[in-house]
Amino acid sequence: MTTVSEPATIEVLASGTAPYHKIDPDGFREWVRDNKQRALVPKLMTEKEAVQKFVADGDYITYECNYLTRGPNSLLHEIMRQQKKNLWIAGKFTYVDVGMLVGAGCAGKVDTGFFLCTPSVRQALDAGKLEVYEYSNVIMTMRLEAGAQGIPFIPVRSFGGTDGFNHSGAKLITDPYTGQPTVIIPALNPDVAIIHVQQADKFGNARIFGTGISDVPAALASRKVIVSAEEIIDTEEIRSNPGLTKIPYWCVDAVVEAPFAGYPGTVPGYYASDPAVVMEVFASVLRGAVEPYLEKWVFGVNSHQEMLEKNVGVAKLLDMRKRETIRGGLRA
Amino acid sequence: MTRAEAFSEREVAMCTVARMVENGRTYWAAGGGTPLYSILLGKKLYAPEAQYVTEDGVIAPEPMLPYEPMMTMLAARASYRALAWGTMNTAGIYSQLGYMDYGVLNTLQVDRHGNINSTFLGEWGAGGRRMHGPGGADTIAACCWRTILITDQSKRKFIEKVDFISSPGYLDGSEGARERAGLPRNTGPWRVVTPWAMYDYQDRRLRLMARVPWVTVDEILAECEYKPLLAPEIQVLEPPTEEEVQLLRTELDVRGQTTDAAGGWIVWDGEKYIRGGGD
Repeated sequence: MTTVSEPATIEVLASGTAPYHKIDPDGFREWVRDNKQRALVPKLMTEKEAVQKFVADGDYITYECNYLTRGPNSLLHEIMRQQKKNLWIAGKFTYVDVGMLVGAGCAGKVDTGFFLCTPSVRQALDAGKLEVYEYSNVIMTMRLEAGAQGIPFIPVRSFGGTDGFNHSGAKLITDPYTGQPTVIIPALNPDVAIIHVQQADKFGNARIFGTGISDVPAALASRKVIVSAEEIIDTEEIRSNPGLTKIPYWCVDAVVEAPFAGYPGTVPGYYASDPAVVMEVFASVLRGAVEPYLEKWVFGVNSHQEMLEKNVGVAKLLDMRKRETIRGGLRA
Repeated sequence: MTRAEAFSEREVAMCTVARMVENGRTYWAAGGGTPLYSILLGKKLYAPEAQYVTEDGVIAPEPMLPYEPMMTMLAARASYRALAWGTMNTAGIYSQLGYMDYGVLNTLQVDRHGNINSTFLGEWGAGGRRMHGPGGADTIAACCWRTILITDQSKRKFIEKVDFISSPGYLDGSEGARERAGLPRNTGPWRVVTPWAMYDYQDRRLRLMARVPWVTVDEILAECEYKPLLAPEIQVLEPPTEEEVQLLRTELDVRGQTTDAAGGWIVWDGEKYIRGGGD
């Protein structure tokens, strides 16, 4: 055995100044011990019940993908309908979602990422009702990765030298192994994750087809996990091809059967987007007219199903399904 | 190849980048607009064996074109016939490991040392104007071996020092600045492409190396807040061809979401190119 001489100490060379969601790996383990069901317990419930039960005012929330692509839109809409307050939002890889949540009065803080900085967001910033902390998309998903591993931080090779670093929870340290300056970022363990998947069984074993952003780390890292699924499938089907299970049941606290939950966006393999309404939400959010959009699509209805019945209709849904011609790898 | 008779400034920038795309190299396209269309244009016309990834970790897709509006990532058509699907962290990790040769980025502001601002105009948190943030561009600019930046040729965008570094260039321009900040060695800005010009870097400082035929070096310099270095000989870039703009308009940027953006139009009057419109 040869020994290598190593720098003995870790020196903190620079620190960002932003607050970050509490890091508590042991507390997370205890939460898992005390709250996550190891038994196979059915968790099917409505979107209303799931949000009432598992989203609280002030929670740190992450959603997977975004409003346009496999977005958990039925759950996002329900959170707005229930007027959850002061949420801290993981605003990674987002176009309109943050602007909608801010417009609906639900958001207090945002870690970003990327989001369209819309008039509603600017108004909230100017009024001191919203705080934004700076990260980037990959830095946010790597924070979730650290949270998903149960560790307090993770080194990364990007983010150093930026002003985002200065307005974040990152630090620059001397790596005790190489002696090189290395950026570390705080683990992220959200209070709640909402994730839309193509298929899940009633216990929460979930299949996701196609590419993604950070579905699996988000499910592992979050204290409360709500999964909505295009289809609820039998557990026998899960057992027939276990390699397709991306999220195991024990991470999941609620399962919501939610066909067309990604409307007006696409769910790969199931339906294409509704381009007219995609442009409607962009125009509304970007032009400072988010309220009429929310009134029509969120507050004016009691559930996602009612929205589909009242505002969309079967003909359009069938057309969206017909236009999604690619199935390879996107269907079991 | 036939010269295009009329084209937009943004199309010029995309065609210039497309011609830089090389077989056997990997590209990380930031977002879904100009960078992605430039890479696809290059792949279709000049370098079919160039490979690319997008932020959702997809490797080497053969997208079913055209895309539906705003559906350039995560959608089935965008990741069609890929070699592998992934996630944002797999994309990030490929770049951390050194697999990404080139990152292609679009930005609002760039400074002398290639630092990019997409977060904030004015002093942070003091009543300035917030923008959308870096998205994936920070990791692309940090970890790809070389970055190609696309922006407009405008005094407001080509500035001495950005208000906020969202994605890193050569930082303060001193030797080793990126390494001291924890970034991988031997990486950084490589080219900047605008509708008027192309720049490289000498000793981590921006240097004008080429111009399009319808603008002069003086006109370019008038649209820079600071004076870049000048290459000993300023090359003249080839204007877009019919084939290139045809492909952009019919398969890639079909709704003009990108080509309709700011900037003028260029028309061939039989003897020379004339620039009109824009700001």
